[in-house]
Amino acid sequence: MTDRFVIVGANLAGGSAATTLREEGFDGTITLIGAEAHPPYERPPLSKEYLRGEMPVEKTFLHAGDYYEEKSIDTVFGVRASRIDTDRKVVTLEDGESVPYDKLLIATGVRNRRFPIPGLDLPGVHDLRTIDDASAIRAEIAPGKTAAVVGMGFIGAEVAASLRSRGIAIKVVEGFKVPLARVLGEDIGGVLEGLHRDHGVEMTFGDVVERFEGSERVERVVTKAGAVVECDFAVVGVGVQPNVEICEGSAIAVDNGILVDAQCRTNVEDVYAAGDVANHAHPVFGRNIRVEHWQNAIKQGPAAAKSMLGNDAAYDEIHWFWSDQYDDNIQYAGHHMTWDDLVVRGSLKERNFIAFYMNGGLIDAAVALNRGKDLRRTMPLIKARKPVDPVKLRDDDIELKSLASA
Amino acid sequence: MSEQSATDYTQVEGTPPDQDELTSVFVGQNRIAIANTGGSYYAFDDTCTHMGCSLSDGDVDADDVTVTCPCHMGQYDMRTGEVVGGPPPAGVKTYPVQVEDGTIRIKA
Repeated sequence: MTDRFVIVGANLAGGSAATTLREEGFDGTITLIGAEAHPPYERPPLSKEYLRGEMPVEKTFLHAGDYYEEKSIDTVFGVRASRIDTDRKVVTLEDGESVPYDKLLIATGVRNRRFPIPGLDLPGVHDLRTIDDASAIRAEIAPGKTAAVVGMGFIGAEVAASLRSRGIAIKVVEGFKVPLARVLGEDIGGVLEGLHRDHGVEMTFGDVVERFEGSERVERVVTKAGAVVECDFAVVGVGVQPNVEICEGSAIAVDNGILVDAQCRTNVEDVYAAGDVANHAHPVFGRNIRVEHWQNAIKQGPAAAKSMLGNDAAYDEIHWFWSDQYDDNIQYAGHHMTWDDLVVRGSLKERNFIAFYMNGGLIDAAVALNRGKDLRRTMPLIKARKPVDPVKLRDDDIELKSLASA
Repeated sequence: MSEQSATDYTQVEGTPPDQDELTSVFVGQNRIAIANTGGSYYAFDDTCTHMGCSLSDGDVDADDVTVTCPCHMGQYDMRTGEVVGGPPPAGVKTYPVQVEDGTIRIKA
């Protein structure tokens, strides 16, 4: 009998998994199911090139339209999968359709958090995850407009930079003391604050939105501290949550996403997970890691696909992402939650540096501003899990490459 | 012409890169990256097809003869110009290159 592989999540992780299954010679049926009407696409341009109107939507697609037909990949786009019966091995869709599987990959991703803020549903209050979200924000761009950006994480910071470059006035409300404080810390976040200020972004820190106000649509943001921010539209970027509801009523273990082992297998036989939703037992770091990165989607999807085909190689990619803001390039590699030492090579002031997040003498992660080559050369140092001398790390005259073999 | 002759190559201004390093040169308006690795020189268009960053600011790998873009890790095979990793939508053009006595010549 033909093997039936089902992928829930027609996104970058799910789409690249389907691609890999065919490339690896899998000749059973593949059904790719996605809640969005679009074929799998790449999200990085949605806050940048697509938002600024520099890229047509087709350029974001993982594959051109007829690829899935050519590769005999059955697609169900625009229909959410709602339930999994792991005993009967059946996925149930929201329209009542049942899709039986022999092996199942869950790549349901994440969705934006929506806090119960009064006025959040007013027209003109946006958030950003999908092509449709980005198109709606893009449609707001017009001369003389002012946008309130709520939350200065990576999405908020990129949206602020993109809208600013299109001439929109930006007013930020952020709960922490600097942009990107939660991930990068106050030293590095402070550098990015300077970058945005230099581009004319107005920022209020240590304050949060209490409500959005307006008669027909949003006209202003009122903060907890009582500040009133007048705006023509608003973009909210205050974090995400994994889409794990499909696991309800099943035995699939969930804890900050779907728990998977190093090979992307869940605790239930023949069920795998990959991408933003997967909380993966990372063999290099020896702990569970769930990230929401382009690179993880495009690498972990294929890794899970190979695992479904019986390959038992562990997925051990060093996580990496980039963020372009104005003319500056930020890259991050590795994974850290806290750090006992932050070692800087280069100059924060000149916005040309790489900073290493250290724990017990090991580099857990690094962030680089306009230093991509150094960031890349740090990845083997992160993967090696060996102590690295902070004095040498700090010294720009010592090649990072030379520390890899030490 | 059936045989390559020295006249097909244009001498360009610039110093040849050190081992496992890159530099960039101009042939007319065209910015071309020159890499030196594994005892050979490679020449290819310096502009990454993803976002236009300069590949000569990137990193060379001797083992698989690749160059990696400094901005978003787009990776190309320096022998063919083909994309072997990362986000670039298309490859880069490659050119024959000769380096002798500190002089770079490119057939472009």
